[in-house]
Amino acid sequence: MTNRTLRQVVVYAAVCLAILLVPTFVDDPFILNKYSRYLALGILAIALSLSWGYTGILNLGQATSFGLGSYCMAMMLKLRTVPVHTGSEGLPDFMVWNNVETLPWFWFPFHSLTAGLFLGIAIPVVFSMLLGWFIFRGRVTGVYVAIITLAVLVVVNLLIIDQQRYTGGFNGITDLAQLEIFGLTFDAYGSSSYYLIAGALTVCLFLALAITKSKVGLILQAIRDHEARVRYFGYDVAYFKIFALSVSAGIAGVGGMLYTIVMEFASPTFLGVSLSLGVVIWVAVGGRQSLLGAALGAIVVTGMQGALSESETFLDTWSLIMGFAFVLVVLFMPKGLAGAVEALYARVFGKGEKAKSIARKAEGGLAKPASEPGGAE
Amino acid sequence: MSGGENGHLVLDNVAIDFNGFRAVDGLNLNVARGELRCLIGPNGAGKTTALDMICGKAKPTSGVISFEGAVLNNMEEHAIARCGIGRKFQVPSVFRELTVQENLDVAYCRHTSILGNLVRFGSGADLDSLEKLAELVGLEDYLEMPAGYLSHGQTQWLEFALLLAQDPELILMDEPTAGMTAQETKKTADLFLRLKGRHTLIVVEHDMGFVKEIGEKISVMHQGKLLAEGSVEEIERDREVRAAYLGSGGISGA
Repeated sequence: MTNRTLRQVVVYAAVCLAILLVPTFVDDPFILNKYSRYLALGILAIALSLSWGYTGILNLGQATSFGLGSYCMAMMLKLRTVPVHTGSEGLPDFMVWNNVETLPWFWFPFHSLTAGLFLGIAIPVVFSMLLGWFIFRGRVTGVYVAIITLAVLVVVNLLIIDQQRYTGGFNGITDLAQLEIFGLTFDAYGSSSYYLIAGALTVCLFLALAITKSKVGLILQAIRDHEARVRYFGYDVAYFKIFALSVSAGIAGVGGMLYTIVMEFASPTFLGVSLSLGVVIWVAVGGRQSLLGAALGAIVVTGMQGALSESETFLDTWSLIMGFAFVLVVLFMPKGLAGAVEALYARVFGKGEKAKSIARKAEGGLAKPASEPGGAE
Repeated sequence: MSGGENGHLVLDNVAIDFNGFRAVDGLNLNVARGELRCLIGPNGAGKTTALDMICGKAKPTSGVISFEGAVLNNMEEHAIARCGIGRKFQVPSVFRELTVQENLDVAYCRHTSILGNLVRFGSGADLDSLEKLAELVGLEDYLEMPAGYLSHGQTQWLEFALLLAQDPELILMDEPTAGMTAQETKKTADLFLRLKGRHTLIVVEHDMGFVKEIGEKISVMHQGKLLAEGSVEEIERDREVRAAYLGSGGISGA
C-alpha cells in the first residue's frame, strides 16, 4: 500500500512539474491564457473528484462554489479598477448605470485584498457547510443529493442574474483590474498567471491527495461504499460528508477565483448548469476515483473542445464528436482514463497471478450499480 | 423480569410500531456482562428488529433500552456504537471497493473525530494486531484484495474480523452461520465460545445445532414477545416453545 502511495506521489509530482514547465516552451500569450483556463477548470474537477469519486456525493452544483469564488475575485478586482471606468467614489460602472448611489454593504470587505482572497474560499465553504448540514443531517442520499445541489445552483444563479443592480446581472462583472500581490502583477495573458494557476493546481492536488491518504480519506471511501455500515463503527457520517463537501467547495472556490483572473470577468455562466454538468463529464472521463485523473480529464476534454470548436473542419460537428468520445469512454473505461492506466500498469508490472486477476477484473469494469446505502441490511 | 435494575444490557417493556404493526411488543430482556445469549424464534418474531433497536437502526416506540446505565433510546447509531456496541448484519455488509486491510483499518475505530483522523496516515491501527486478526479468520493472503472479490464465506469471516477490530463490549450477531458449511459453522462456534466472557454476545440464529453448541442461555421470541428463557434443556422441555417453534422433535429436530 505504501508502495502505491509513493508511486502516486511521484506521478503526481511529475505531472505537476510538466505543467509548470509549459511556459518555457510556449510563448504565445493567447495559448498560455487558454492553457491557464484549462488548468483552472482542472482545479474544479479535483474538487468534484473529492466529493463524488471519494465520498460518493454526486454534487451537481459544484459550479456554485466555483462561481461564488469567481464573483468574490471579480468584486475585489472591480473595486481596484482605475477610476476612469468607475463612477464617483469608485462606484463600479454597472451600479452607476443602474442608478445605485452608494456601494452596498456586502461589497465593502472587497476593498481589502486579503479579505477578498479569504472570502473567495470562505464563502463557498460556509455555504456548503450550511447546505451539507441540511442535506446530511436529514440523511438525504443518492439521487436526491444531486437534485438538491442542482436546484440550489439554479437558485443562486437566478439570484445573481436578478440582482443586476449589485451583481451586474447577465453581463456579470467586467472590466476588472489585474491582480497585484507583493508588487507582482498577474496578467491574464502572461506567464505569471499561468504559474500562479499551475502552482495552485499543484497545491490543491497534493492537499486533496493528503486528505484521501489520511484515515479520513479511508472513512470517506467507506462511506461511499456502504454508508450505513460506517455508522455502526461510531463515525458520525453526516459530519464526514459535510467535511468532504466543504473542502471540495473550498477547492472549487480557488478554481473560480483563478478563472476570473484568466477570463478577466465573472459571469453567471460560471455558475451555470451547463458548466456544472460539464464537470461531471470531465471527471467521469478522467476517472472520478483519481484526483489527478479528474484534473487531467478536465484539461483534456476542455482542451479538445477548444481545439475542435476552433478548427474549421469540425465547426459543425465538434459537439457530436465530443459526445461520441464520452459514450466510448463510459462504455469501455468505466473507471475513466486513470482506471485504464492503472489496470494497464497492473497488467504490465503486476507480480503473480493475483495481481493480474485483480487487474483483469478491474479492467473488465466492475460496473456495479451505485450502491444504495441503507437498503442493504 | 421487570428489568428495572441497573444491569449490563436491559430491555424494559420495549415495543416498536411500524404503522400499526407491532413488530416487537413489550419485550423484556436482561443480558449480563460476558454472557452469550441466543435469540431464537420463528420468522417474524421480531428478533432482528430487537437487534435493530439496540444498535439504533430502529427507534423503539415505547419502553427503555439501556446499556451500562446509559439509555440508548434516542441516541444516533454512531453514538450507540461509541458506547461499545457492535453489530453484524444478516446481509453481508463490508466495504466492497476497499481492500481487506482497509476494511480492517476503518473498523479499528478508537478515534472517531475528523480532525484526529486527518493527521492519521497509513494504518491507524497496530499493523501486527490487524494482521493477526486476518490470520484468525483465514484472510491473511487477501489483505490487498478488494473485499468485493471475496467469496460469500470469506465475506462473513471478514465481518467477524471487522467486529474484532472494532472490539465492542457488546456484539450483536444476526444469523452468523447463514450460508456456511458445517465445517465453517464449527469454526464459528469455536470463535464465539472464545469471545464469550470478554465480550457480551447476542446471537440470532435459526440453526439449532449451532445454538445447542454455543448456547448457555436461550431467549425464545414469538410474535414480538418473549416466550421463554432458559438453558437448552429447559427450552427443549417447554411446551409452549414446542408448539410455537420447535415442533415435537425438540431442538435437534428443528
